[in-house]
Amino acid sequence: MLWYIGKRLLQSIVTLFIIVTIVFALLRLMPEEGYLGAAAEKMSPEQQEIYLTNLGLRDPLIVQLGNFYASLLQGDLGTSVTYRTDVPVTTIISEKIMYSLFFGLGAVALSLIVGVPLGILMAQMKGRWLDRLGTGYIVFVVAVPAAVYYIFIQMYITEIFNLPMLFDEYNPISWLLPLTSMALAPTASYAMWMRRYMVDELNKDYIKLARAKGVKERTLMFKHVMRNAFIPLAQYLPATILFTIMGSIYIESLYSIPGMGGLLVDAIQRQDNAVVQGLVLIFSSLGIIGLFLGDLAMALVDPRIKLGKGESVR
Amino acid sequence: MEATQTKSTILSIHNLVIKFKLRGKVLTAIRDISLNLYKGESLAIVGESGSGKSVLVKSIMGLLDKNGFIDHGAIIYNDEDLAHFQTEKDWLKIRGKEVAMVTQDPMTSLNPLKTVGKQIEECVILHQGLRGKAAYEKTLQYLKDVGIYDVEKRYKQYPHEFSGGMRQRIVIAIAIACKPKILICDEPTTALDVTIQAQILQLLKNLQQQYGLTTIYITHDLGVVAKVADRIAVMYAGEIIEVGQSHEVFFNGKHPYTWALLSSLPQLGTKGEELYSIKGTPPNLFKDIKGDAFAPRNPYALNIDYEERPPFFKVSETHYAKTWLLHPKAPKVEPPHNLQAFFEEGRHYTYE
Repeated sequence: MLWYIGKRLLQSIVTLFIIVTIVFALLRLMPEEGYLGAAAEKMSPEQQEIYLTNLGLRDPLIVQLGNFYASLLQGDLGTSVTYRTDVPVTTIISEKIMYSLFFGLGAVALSLIVGVPLGILMAQMKGRWLDRLGTGYIVFVVAVPAAVYYIFIQMYITEIFNLPMLFDEYNPISWLLPLTSMALAPTASYAMWMRRYMVDELNKDYIKLARAKGVKERTLMFKHVMRNAFIPLAQYLPATILFTIMGSIYIESLYSIPGMGGLLVDAIQRQDNAVVQGLVLIFSSLGIIGLFLGDLAMALVDPRIKLGKGESVR
Repeated sequence: MEATQTKSTILSIHNLVIKFKLRGKVLTAIRDISLNLYKGESLAIVGESGSGKSVLVKSIMGLLDKNGFIDHGAIIYNDEDLAHFQTEKDWLKIRGKEVAMVTQDPMTSLNPLKTVGKQIEECVILHQGLRGKAAYEKTLQYLKDVGIYDVEKRYKQYPHEFSGGMRQRIVIAIAIACKPKILICDEPTTALDVTIQAQILQLLKNLQQQYGLTTIYITHDLGVVAKVADRIAVMYAGEIIEVGQSHEVFFNGKHPYTWALLSSLPQLGTKGEELYSIKGTPPNLFKDIKGDAFAPRNPYALNIDYEERPPFFKVSETHYAKTWLLHPKAPKVEPPHNLQAFFEEGRHYTYE
């Protein structure tokens, strides 16, 4: 098991290193105005040249890469030039990431708490009214574009229950609608996957054998079926978490949440290379951490993965 | 080893009819079956796919699919009628405790996430009331009984670390660990290769002796039947059409379907000739079947076969067959030519 964790960890670090290097290289291919920002127009070509040299952009690429990693290790991601002039990228991101983290993780937690049990119940009552109701909900959420029901929720639910329409840090009630809106879609997918895997497992031979040996239906569900059904679900978990942390552009703009939703798009449009670089770094590391945790969770429940070395114990 | 040759009935099925609701239509899977199971014997139920073998034994354990139900009839076990069992609580008295099952495919019959030991121990705990160390010791004993070596290490391993034959041994250990009176083996060797098949059958035979089990084999492999069965029931289209001692059915079969089944044994074919196969297809179970279900495929069919269902005709004390050919007024019909030699040889062998 330790061997497996170590191996996966090493793989993750290598992957991260490769991604960061690629992003670094890609940004060097972009026009250099991105480093000059709004000041570009006021500078003469000579001044621009001096500015860029000072930034280290005239050094050989290898040196630049070395410098980049050196400052990265000190937690320095550079400063923004166009988005918010001369503010460190770390400050910009850290101000915003808390909001997105809160809503993202909150929505995932909510959808897990609701979606997984819903899926289990649907599997148990396959073909009965609860299953049909749940299926209706899933089809609705998948078929109707999120932007449509987000707006309807904001317009009508706020009115019916007299809830605030905009986000207010100091009023927890205003957190409710953005959270539930964001949770609607992942709830549906968790319920759908859980139901599907449960039904799959319930039809397997080992369940028939367990039933034939006199195991109670309830014990069967909890001890035999659920763990097996959870394995494939564990694969989807990291991806959804990543997705929600990146922030929902819709939700954040609808409720005026100062999160990361639009940040990446904004930074790319304004050619703020340092911010783009920082964001990509954060997203990719979150993604890699997510995958690592997902694999770890799967290895914990599934004994077939633990071998890892490609040889079986005999 | 108790060798009681006195036949006491352990389970008896009376006029059982099982139906399934399917897409608004009703399918009759078991059409009026009556059968006795005697203590200590091994009974083989043979028949082609879809003849209702599996449905029949599933009904004994209350494991029919949700859309299936017992229309009428009785399954008497221990003075109780299992046909009237409704709740899970009722069935838990039977499943495992009284009747256990060895399933067909060992590759998929074990929970991949639980150690083999735990899966056997679950039965020991459930049905023998043992806990902790005692349950563990008992589990090791069962592992040894089914021919597993290095049991302490094996106990902690997962199904994927076992081969197919080994897994089937584990499945058998699970069934035995329930301490059942009746063991149902649902095509126990179909998924195994031939050398392993023989080993598993021998193991089942030994365990039957050791634990005084009554076994039911479901199979379409007549080779398996010949190796293990004391008695054979031949099923066709949800009906038992012939039942008798092993040698009686094999070497003195009376029903044309039994003949057809035996004729399709590759061993009975003549070299260079095409293998025998039964023409036509089994009847549609959604429709009411008039007369003998086999009549349309039966080269020996009489007119009455299309009109009225034949009753059981007695051949000997233990041998019955449902065919009008046995009626005193029926024309004398000899079994197919290639079978006659086989019958002759077989009888010779049996009575010497």
